[in-house]
Amino acid sequence: MTMNKEDSNPSVAARRAFLSKLGTAAGCAGAAVGAAALGVLPAMAAKPETAPPGAAASGASFPTKDYDWTKHQWGFGVDATKCIGCLRCVEACKNENSVPKNAHQFRTWVERYVHIEGDPEVHIDSQSDPVNIAASGSEKEFRFANRYKDQKVEKAFFVPKLCNQCTHPACVQVCPTGATFRSEDGVVLIDPTYCIGCRYCVQACPYGARYFDEDRGVADKCNWCYHRITKGLKPACVEVCPVGARVFGDQKDKQSPISLFIRNNRVQVLRPETGNAPNVFYVGIDKEVN
Amino acid sequence: MPKHIFRLVSLILGLAVVAVLARPFLIADSFYRFGHYRANAVPEIAAKAPVLQTARYCQACHTERHAQWSAGSHKSVTCEVCHGPAQGHTDKNKLPVPKDSVKLCTLCHEAMPGRPSTQPQIELAKHNTGKQCVVCHNPHTPKIVVATIKITGNAAAGKKRAEDCAGCHGADGNSPNDTWPSLAGQNAAYLARILGAYKSGDQKNEIMSPLAQDLSPADVQDLAAYYGSLKCKATPPAAKPIGNSAAGKVLAENCSACHGETGISTNPAWPSIAAQKPGYLVNVLKAFKAGLRKDPMMAGVARGLSDANMADLAAFYAAQSCQPTK
Repeated sequence: MTMNKEDSNPSVAARRAFLSKLGTAAGCAGAAVGAAALGVLPAMAAKPETAPPGAAASGASFPTKDYDWTKHQWGFGVDATKCIGCLRCVEACKNENSVPKNAHQFRTWVERYVHIEGDPEVHIDSQSDPVNIAASGSEKEFRFANRYKDQKVEKAFFVPKLCNQCTHPACVQVCPTGATFRSEDGVVLIDPTYCIGCRYCVQACPYGARYFDEDRGVADKCNWCYHRITKGLKPACVEVCPVGARVFGDQKDKQSPISLFIRNNRVQVLRPETGNAPNVFYVGIDKEVN
Repeated sequence: MPKHIFRLVSLILGLAVVAVLARPFLIADSFYRFGHYRANAVPEIAAKAPVLQTARYCQACHTERHAQWSAGSHKSVTCEVCHGPAQGHTDKNKLPVPKDSVKLCTLCHEAMPGRPSTQPQIELAKHNTGKQCVVCHNPHTPKIVVATIKITGNAAAGKKRAEDCAGCHGADGNSPNDTWPSLAGQNAAYLARILGAYKSGDQKNEIMSPLAQDLSPADVQDLAAYYGSLKCKATPPAAKPIGNSAAGKVLAENCSACHGETGISTNPAWPSIAAQKPGYLVNVLKAFKAGLRKDPMMAGVARGLSDANMADLAAFYAAQSCQPTK
């Protein structure tokens, strides 16, 4: 019954007039530039062919003149049996990558798993836990509180976590703008100029590796310090780890730290059932870790 | 064709043409070069300057400190872990020297469930409560590796050999002048270590070095045993020490973990310095500061002392009794 009213509504009449004009304009535009469009289309189709995937632009190395990404396939190892939970990796990562200095946004983080005698539940905390923030004294510093020292601990261990740089990344699949993608050398990158801040990727990641940077309005996550590894440096967290719990290297180099790590240990990945095929390999983690 | 269908089709066609025409202007040139993304984003990401500079960067200027650090047990803890990122570090833009070493060191060394047993850990309540870690440990080479030398020498044989030493160190091991140390009652293990260092060249002194060359290992043992067995005597200082003993007492709190509260050492590997000659003490501290005497821990301690601090410390220790209170 409201429809009848709308027919006689002046605003509906105005809308019709607008659409009519728009249609005419579009029609004219189409007719006028039809021939031109025919000329543009083949050019558009030809564009991707000028540099087909893998053919690193006629000899010149990509992405920088000293670094050719077709020659590398990066990998990361975590030996949880060595981690002491000092959180220097978290601190270094925040400094290196200008991650907001607060207690809930991280590119890498460390989890603690504690089994207490007579308690069937595993106690899990990270540096974001209020007790640990209180122990560090500020949200800008990171420390694990010694909260279990007076309890009968059956088993306890630390697990460093970071982006898994999956071979089949769910985050890339859901990105509507092509702002996140997997590079040829095996790192999932974010193009901040194309990110529209929709946060689908943050939702899609099964590992919770992504966070949303409200200040810049874009999603962010670990990229294995792509600006360092393309210059021959180690990622910041690997550089500062005092106990060698973090291992990094080129899987194409059979003598690299990561190749040796994978070959000499029985490694596992997190949540293999998701089909993401992670490239961070773990040693010494327990059934609760995923 | 009905009018409204014609309008709709022409609208859709028109918009399609506009979309096709607008596409090259809206999509970056490098999009689709390798895939469904902007290829130029990759060099943009790679171009960022590293913030952490690695220890090799620090080595260029801090050569000596780097050498000390890289030979010690902290060589896996890089410079920037404690001093922060070195990007933009110049003479004017100094990097922080951590003030609270207890807070810093316990990040890794506080005993905590979950830390692997291979990690050296301390219980804060039991391990030297209330003191800063850097009082005893040089953060660049934190392991205290003073091997206590076992003394097997013969004091009687040492007495004979010591006749040559009496000129400077006194007939009974109590030095008659301000410049040379008294040796009577000194820890024998310390004496043996230092004599060995003069002999090997690890420690140099224009008088002691040639003398030590003539000593056999047995002589070193005998001399250490002899002087260790002597009783120290408080000899009245030739002149009143220039330092302020009260100010020295405050500073000496930082020395007490190794040298005892009144200068009676708690560990035979380290020297007792109670009632020692103030001139000698100042000279030794200056030698540590200048790097003429090499000891990682004392180098770190002496670096922070001014000449006035040294005089104060010397005055304090010179005024203490060298007899153990117990």
